[in-house]
Amino acid sequence: MRNDFSSVVDRIPPSGIRKFFDLVVNTKGVISLGVGESDFATPWGICEEAIESLEKGYTTYTSNRGHKECCKSITDYLKDRFGCDYKPNNEIVVTVGVSEGVDIVLRALLNPGDEILLPEPTYVCYAPLINLAGGKVVPIDTTDSGFMLDVDKLEQHITKKTKALILCSPNNPTGMVIPKEQLEKVAALAEKYDFWVISDEVYAEIVYDEDYVSFSTIKGMKERTVLLSGFSKAFAMTGWRLGYVCGPESIISRALKIHQYNIMCAPITSQFAAISALRHSEKYVKKMRESYCYRRNFFVKKLNDTGLDTMMPDGAFYCFPSISNTGYSSEEFAFKLLEEQKVAVVPGPVFGSGGEGYIRCCYATNLELLKEALLRIETFLKKQA
Amino acid sequence: MLTNKIINILKNNARISVKDLAYMVNSSEAEVDNIIKKLEKEKQILQYVTIINDEKISEKAKIRAVIQLCVRPEKKDGFDAIAQKICKYANVVDHYLISGQFDFLIIVEGESLQEISSFVSEKLACLENVRNTATHFMLKKYKEKGVILENDAHETRLAVLL
Repeated sequence: MRNDFSSVVDRIPPSGIRKFFDLVVNTKGVISLGVGESDFATPWGICEEAIESLEKGYTTYTSNRGHKECCKSITDYLKDRFGCDYKPNNEIVVTVGVSEGVDIVLRALLNPGDEILLPEPTYVCYAPLINLAGGKVVPIDTTDSGFMLDVDKLEQHITKKTKALILCSPNNPTGMVIPKEQLEKVAALAEKYDFWVISDEVYAEIVYDEDYVSFSTIKGMKERTVLLSGFSKAFAMTGWRLGYVCGPESIISRALKIHQYNIMCAPITSQFAAISALRHSEKYVKKMRESYCYRRNFFVKKLNDTGLDTMMPDGAFYCFPSISNTGYSSEEFAFKLLEEQKVAVVPGPVFGSGGEGYIRCCYATNLELLKEALLRIETFLKKQA
Repeated sequence: MLTNKIINILKNNARISVKDLAYMVNSSEAEVDNIIKKLEKEKQILQYVTIINDEKISEKAKIRAVIQLCVRPEKKDGFDAIAQKICKYANVVDHYLISGQFDFLIIVEGESLQEISSFVSEKLACLENVRNTATHFMLKKYKEKGVILENDAHETRLAVLL
């Protein structure tokens, strides 16, 4: 039997913490701070409209780009909510989650050897997808600048092969949000060196203290921005697998070509759910955001009291405590905490360079469990001292 | 703003400690305590109650009924004077002025069907201004104050996901 598979795929390193994940799943009584999604169920009104669409017999393909009404609802929402300006007929593709969006955009953009600037720590899908698309990852460690993008450092990494920069703000795993002034500096570089900015804005609705600024609304940036977002986080719709890519027609038409052949179209039921979400769910989104905010305030301050130095995140539902003063590596810490106190967290290095010495905790879980987890962490730390 | 945040949290969890509450709203314990005391003093917060699933309590569950009343309002006080009278009965647990065919909607509670029947026929219906009543006995409670009693929602999330 032949044993030669795609060398590009084989070069993607296997997930080093698979063993840890298996251990979490097989341990009973675990309090998990390792989840990557909301603890809210999809608002019932959204589910109901999806069910109704099935009852009416909407079970077919839609156009490749996405159902007309769905595309328009998304571009209208982006306009009203964030001031983004996209045309529903040629500047959007509805995708199967944001991950598909990242994939098709990178494949539409990259030629072998093209470089993508990737501030890290960041979400796990970008680097493998860049490699699969034939590009080269240029990681930029943001640890020294408090997980905020240092523009001077960014400039130092730009070469003639730089094709794009990927921004993930609010960030998974740190929860940091890049402020407008910083985005403007990035924009100046994008203009100066002529690169694209792929802006993953899936957590845009979960920003606590300030209004969110979409990179595409920075002056002159629409033409070189690809905006990625979706329904998973804002509307608690992870399982519906629905996202979208917006950008200039030049790149969208190419991304659509890939989408048309590998996906055909996003599931129609999810598209109907999305239309409902955008029309009727503002108050639920607000309620969820408030609830995350209370839990963030509580959890992050308590973590600091416990002795784990943790920056207050501005958005998403994660925080990224430093465990460097415990003397353990991130993975050792995660393993020991799981074994001794049955609390699951995600080791920081999973999220790329700069993640060592940190763990990711998701605080989108109920307050009583958060309190219990904090008690267990405190007991764990005392034992180690 | 801070007051609204505190009220919203207390509405869902009246047993939360002042300390935890202070952490959640990013304020000091003293400030949160002062706000709660002020709300109580000004009777914006009247009482802290508990939502009970009667069916799970071994003690015999109380009987409840929703009663609609048609009432003749009084010249000077409108519906308020008669409402105040009705509110005084211990059997009446909720009381609202409503629009539509009826004027009042009240919820009454008693130990038995007879107790409620007697209350309606001997007390409520006899009140001078009450013209008409419609009594509906409650058979089962599904949801109270936004809480679903038999909620089969359970954790479906994977324990670790990036």
